[in-house]
Amino acid sequence: MAEKLVPVVCPWCSVGCRFYAVSVNGYIRRIEFDYDHPTIANRGKLCPKGVASYQFINSPKRLKKPLKRVGEKGEGKFEEISWEEAYRIIAEKIKEIKETYGPEAIAFLGSEKITLEENYLVHKLSKAIGTNHLDFPGRYCQYSNSPARTKVFGSAAATNPFEDVAKAELIVIWGHNPAETAPVLFGQYIEKAILDNGAEMIVIDPRSTRGHKYASLHLKPYPGTDLAVALALLNVVITEELYDKEFVQERTAGFEKLKESVKDYTPEWAEKISGVPAEDIRKAARMIANKRTAFLVNEGVNQHVNGFNLALAIADLIAITGNIGKEGVWSGVFPGAQCGFCAAMSGIAPNKLPTGGLVTDEAARAELERLWGFKIPDWVGLDLTNMVREIGKKIRMMYIIGGNIAKSMPNSGWVREQLKKLDFLVVQDIFLTETAKYADIVLPAAAWFEKTGTAISAERRVQRTYKAAEAPGEAKPDWLIIVELAKELGLGEYFKYSHPDEILREINSVIPLFKGATPEYLAEHPEGCFLPCSEPGEGTKILFKKGFKTPDGKAQLQPVEWMEPPEMPDEEYPLWLTNFRLVGHWHTNTMSEESPSLKKRWPEEYVMIHPKDARELGIKTGDLVKVETRRGSILVRAEVTEHVREGVIAMPWHWQANFLTLDEIHPMTKMAELKAVAARVKKVEE
Amino acid sequence: MAHKKIFLDYKRCIGCKACEVACEMTHGEARIKVFEFPDLFTVPFNCRHCEKAPCLNVCPTGALFRDEDGAVAFDPLKCIGCLMCAVACPFGVPKLDEENKIMDKCDLCADRRAEGLLPACVSACPTEALKYGEIDEILWEREGKVVANLKSAAEKGEGEPALLL
Repeated sequence: MAEKLVPVVCPWCSVGCRFYAVSVNGYIRRIEFDYDHPTIANRGKLCPKGVASYQFINSPKRLKKPLKRVGEKGEGKFEEISWEEAYRIIAEKIKEIKETYGPEAIAFLGSEKITLEENYLVHKLSKAIGTNHLDFPGRYCQYSNSPARTKVFGSAAATNPFEDVAKAELIVIWGHNPAETAPVLFGQYIEKAILDNGAEMIVIDPRSTRGHKYASLHLKPYPGTDLAVALALLNVVITEELYDKEFVQERTAGFEKLKESVKDYTPEWAEKISGVPAEDIRKAARMIANKRTAFLVNEGVNQHVNGFNLALAIADLIAITGNIGKEGVWSGVFPGAQCGFCAAMSGIAPNKLPTGGLVTDEAARAELERLWGFKIPDWVGLDLTNMVREIGKKIRMMYIIGGNIAKSMPNSGWVREQLKKLDFLVVQDIFLTETAKYADIVLPAAAWFEKTGTAISAERRVQRTYKAAEAPGEAKPDWLIIVELAKELGLGEYFKYSHPDEILREINSVIPLFKGATPEYLAEHPEGCFLPCSEPGEGTKILFKKGFKTPDGKAQLQPVEWMEPPEMPDEEYPLWLTNFRLVGHWHTNTMSEESPSLKKRWPEEYVMIHPKDARELGIKTGDLVKVETRRGSILVRAEVTEHVREGVIAMPWHWQANFLTLDEIHPMTKMAELKAVAARVKKVEE
Repeated sequence: MAHKKIFLDYKRCIGCKACEVACEMTHGEARIKVFEFPDLFTVPFNCRHCEKAPCLNVCPTGALFRDEDGAVAFDPLKCIGCLMCAVACPFGVPKLDEENKIMDKCDLCADRRAEGLLPACVSACPTEALKYGEIDEILWEREGKVVANLKSAAEKGEGEPALLL
């Protein structure tokens, strides 16, 4: 029994940690920490999810054979079928729906959990079938911050590598809880900045998070009112003339309009809306303007209908204080999953092409048609929320890969009802998720350690991960399933791949950003390369040193206005409900629930209630309570704690919290309201 | 010669429990525990491998012994499950393995040390709240940092507060 050390990228968050899977005869025996490559992001360290990361692949609940539904939709009753039959049924159904309703009745979902190569193939297959209804569940992840940053800087990507976080003088953690969502980033970079290099930290969050003990200032806005704080920060920086005048003069455009738009948003005005003392906002603004600042923002900023405005305001703030394009600053999007960028960079969106162009751009389309050899549809497809809204109308069939929308989407009860209306649903996953229960055909996929592929971390680092275990039963890697299905559909000539390396080579030639990220280079360099990677070995660590990716090379400052959250507490539902993440769970916990070491330590959901609210409601820690919103109610245990601000209740979102949230979306970004809804809590007698 | 031990810097701990999980993955049961307090204060706690270890002194069978690296290690074949070590330990570290009726405690990852690797909990700890080293080494590093901070504060000018770690 020879032990083999297989280098892998961690399958959970997007810090991009590496370690070795110790593989014996196709099974992972244990893991070993990678201290051999000091330049990797995690420097050998891992969080609890990383250490326990191979447990879920050994779960007895793994899907092992293709399944065909026999019971009612949602019931979860299936019979096993062969791969040939599964492909035949899917291909026939695709052809039938194409003939009856046209290709625009079919929608595809890529995933932030599968590799770059696989997302690229999903994209290629959807276009080959003739539909642009293409999205991925990351729609609810970064789609506020990403378009906002693109508007201001021309590109959303993280500006600096993590090592610059450790060099910052001030760290602003806004709606982000890296101590739990990315402990390695927190320990290796943020803590080093604070404890070793004397940096300060500002936390903006209605909860006291784990990292909060290091903060010199903690602003606690009500959920959904962070925008008021951001506007007031801009107001103070501009009225007190704290902004970087030289930078604003030389590298930004639109300052006067921005100044005009925020002139009425004083800290006193923001205090009335957000409950954050005006003096604290002033203090924060002065700190941000005078120090080299790293901005770490995440879902607390993103997952609001007004999150786009908030992200714009933050991007403006970063630009006018000059905290971009140099060492010792950091800002950017921070995907929740290891491959959020894999989906985004391969153009998984209703309006994009993998090359970076838009589907409506004729020249870009023609270029891709030349590369791929088939016609590309020219219309803009539907985003995820609208796809689900259109089920039973425009959308007749969905093909979902590695997504669990029946649990992760806002107002998930409604999503489940919608899924029942589909003519045909294919789900490709590693477990029988809540979503898979509504499928007509379920395809068993290989899990993360069971295939070779490319991952892209939050700091734009492209890394290769390798196969360390055999997939159980007849499960196959997602790329192979797509290739074989394409053959069944008669598209074989466009999908001639027998190894992920071949797909990556095609990506090298199709997506310009990846030109230098060849399989050979990545195999030799486990630490990967930073995008854009134009030639092997020529990555880009710091972006925007000279110009921005906007037409005139200047940051386009955007005027921003106050926008109310779509639902506010009232007499009937007097509390704000928000949600958060736990260090031991990940997304809809399909994988972390199957990891015994994690499940044992983080066993169930609960609701955090402030002692004052709890007293009024007669609730004590451990009581069973009913949390109710206009969408429904769930029963959970209460935790009375001062770590959440008065008037706000908070729940971890991994279990059922999204049953309660709101599917109202932003008109442009289509981001829903997942973090701030009106709720009430009642004690339930046991 | 001073022995190497695991030192706990609770100030750096964020309570992520990576150490617990790493220990559990190595030994089947976590021998280190992270205690959480209501004010977000967290302390990882493991066997101290005391210089004058009471557990070792009271063990009637010699199942507990000091290995060459100074760890209070354990021979399961000699253990009779009398629980004397558990009573003597001021920290409540040795635990009874209910199934085998013998004791179980941290041995500073003897297997990993034999391969030249760090104990699992220390390898994992993302914040470096757990450090493996000799007491003097760790203290010198601390002192060095305090002095450097005081010096840089003095250089920055009067009134600039020094950073005491």
